[in-house]
Amino acid sequence: MKNIEISKNKEDKILSDGVNKLTVSYSPHLHTNQSAAKIMWSVFLSLIPAGIAGIFIFGSKALWIISLGIISAIATEGLLQYLNKKKITLNDGSAALTGLLLSYNLPANSPWWLVIIGSFVAVAIGKQIFGGLGQNIFNPALVGRVFLMTCWPKYMTSFMKPLNAGFNVFGSVNYDAITAATPLMIVKEGEALSGLSYWDLFLGRHAGCVGEVCILALLIGALFLLLKKYISWHIPIIYIATVGVFSWIFGQKGLFSGNFLFSILSGGLILGAFFMATDYVTSPLTRKGQVIFAAGCGVLTSVIRLWGGYPEGVSYAILMMNAATPIIDRYTKNRIFGK
Amino acid sequence: MKLERKEFIKGIIKENPTFVLALGLCPTLAVSTAMSNGLGMGIAATFVLLGSNIFISLIKNIVPDRIRIPCYIVVIATFVTITELFMKAYSPALNRALGIYVPLIVVNCMVLGRAEAYASKSSVKNSIMDALGMGLGFTLALLLISGIREILGLGTFFGYKIIKSYEPMFIFALPSGALLVIGLLMSLFGLLKNKKT
Amino acid sequence: MSIGQFLSIFISAVFVYNVILSRFLGLCSFVAISKETKPALAMSLAVMFVTTMSSIITWFIYRFLLIPFNITYLRTIAFILVIASFVQLVEMIIKKISPPLYRFFGIYLPLITVNCAVLGVAVLNIDMFFVNGKAIEGSFYYSVFQGICVGLGYTIAMLLMSGIRERLDFCSVPKCVKEFPLAFIIASIMSMSFMGFNGFKF
Repeated sequence: MKNIEISKNKEDKILSDGVNKLTVSYSPHLHTNQSAAKIMWSVFLSLIPAGIAGIFIFGSKALWIISLGIISAIATEGLLQYLNKKKITLNDGSAALTGLLLSYNLPANSPWWLVIIGSFVAVAIGKQIFGGLGQNIFNPALVGRVFLMTCWPKYMTSFMKPLNAGFNVFGSVNYDAITAATPLMIVKEGEALSGLSYWDLFLGRHAGCVGEVCILALLIGALFLLLKKYISWHIPIIYIATVGVFSWIFGQKGLFSGNFLFSILSGGLILGAFFMATDYVTSPLTRKGQVIFAAGCGVLTSVIRLWGGYPEGVSYAILMMNAATPIIDRYTKNRIFGK
Repeated sequence: MKLERKEFIKGIIKENPTFVLALGLCPTLAVSTAMSNGLGMGIAATFVLLGSNIFISLIKNIVPDRIRIPCYIVVIATFVTITELFMKAYSPALNRALGIYVPLIVVNCMVLGRAEAYASKSSVKNSIMDALGMGLGFTLALLLISGIREILGLGTFFGYKIIKSYEPMFIFALPSGALLVIGLLMSLFGLLKNKKT
Repeated sequence: MSIGQFLSIFISAVFVYNVILSRFLGLCSFVAISKETKPALAMSLAVMFVTTMSSIITWFIYRFLLIPFNITYLRTIAFILVIASFVQLVEMIIKKISPPLYRFFGIYLPLITVNCAVLGVAVLNIDMFFVNGKAIEGSFYYSVFQGICVGLGYTIAMLLMSGIRERLDFCSVPKCVKEFPLAFIIASIMSMSFMGFNGFKF
């Protein structure tokens, strides 16, 4: 962001114009394949704890969903690049990451074809149709998830009960057949959350998508990315804070009495805020733009959660703000350089 | 006779109003949730097109050039109203399914476009052929899109269930599915055109 | 008449039943003019103005002319004539009063006459806020508000799309999807994400 500081100084305007022309471009700015691959695989690595937690909570089914998601995303990417006669770039890890993120956003008991179609849509329509890595407008994994959500809401909202849940009402019979509502769904129905502490929410002992339930594991991965400086704290923290504040104000009948801790710990907020809203390609370039982006995500997420028809709004909110990213970039940049 | 046949054929593929000329997309996307709706809209639009094309090519020498567009719109609006009343009387279910998109045929660029680009310059006979060809092309495009959407989105063909165990992809019954289908079909047309040249 | 009602109209007109992405009204102008932000914004503002004004005018015409004389079946003809002459009038007034403004959206105004969004919102208002040939309570305010919101929905879709398409100029998009097809696919994804507001209840 050095050039921004320079441009504030009017005397250096000519210089800054020169700098501006040289450095600021739209997001396909990951030119060297190596560094892009390094970042992709680091994000992949940082997501592994959450996957292990998911497998621990939901059993081997979660492992099956995750591997299927990764394999089918890679296969789609390879196939499309082959058909388009492009260079095949599977080792940059972006397809694998898309598959991983998509599978983290699915219930552990999804049928196999759901995962395959989702990965195909994510890679084909979310990414390759825009020209591949670094050129997509929307987060590919979220395109896949929202597509599945619109196609088969029935499968996307029936969640498996955790294997060793503390609130096992039906006794431990055949767990395959037992589905449970996520905390957000329970609240949406207007029922009280019984027997579910914040600790349960934090460790992920409740129904939900494969990779979103265990907040602890997600935070370990996020910390790794933050320390390595692959992501900055701005987008995730502002996003989460906005959701917290918004649900604290409007969450209950009376103002300023909502349960903000619950709304932060439940659903896919942590996964979305740290790993999907921070995607370089689909989020704004400038700090100012990132703040607007994150606050927008937060407000949209809370509005959908509180008054919308769906219990969870993270994926919709991020997609909507992805659509707004180019325009945010355009206006935040314009103001800074005084064009 | 040969010329008239050419006027008729061109609307179906070479100058297909939907895929090639990209005219009148609003109703195409909005009503193509089921094939019966698509067929109904196709016939209604063809009727309006036929009526307005005939009428406009008849009055083309009387209407002053400067106010021709308002005149055409009034002619088209009249035929649309006739269609609307007809549909309300004989097929209320279809009328309900098509909703506001029946009165909106008035502002369908296809109808006004053909009136302006063709009927106002051609003989009655050619205008009839043009209207029928364009109408058929429009109807076929509607049937293609609504066919894809109905089969994928509802798992039925003209209302009949085809595969029992199929899990319908509900998105294709929704607006976003319509946009996806038209986008993919257009790129398919583009791909075929690129292959040829 | 309540705030909740207005909020529902807002969310439904701007997001869930977005005039372009869900009702497909004004799709032609959306695809044709959304290539750059400036003209897109000019067109959207012009549309917003005209949808608002035409909501007001057509409401009065329907309520005080078509219903009393029992000629509601003439609404399509009446509305399109009124809208066309209103747009013409506005164009003439702007040309006279403010030449810069005229240059700003001069060429887009005539296009609006045949923009389905304008006639669409007029017909929609009549369908929604008149029951059995009678205006429901607050019908006029709802109509005007819906006119504004439809214009706002048009503006949002137009702005987002033009921003995205400007950025796409820097991308190596496959040849067969360039321009129109990709615009439709992006619109489809946007429409999908706007579905997140489905079932909104305040």
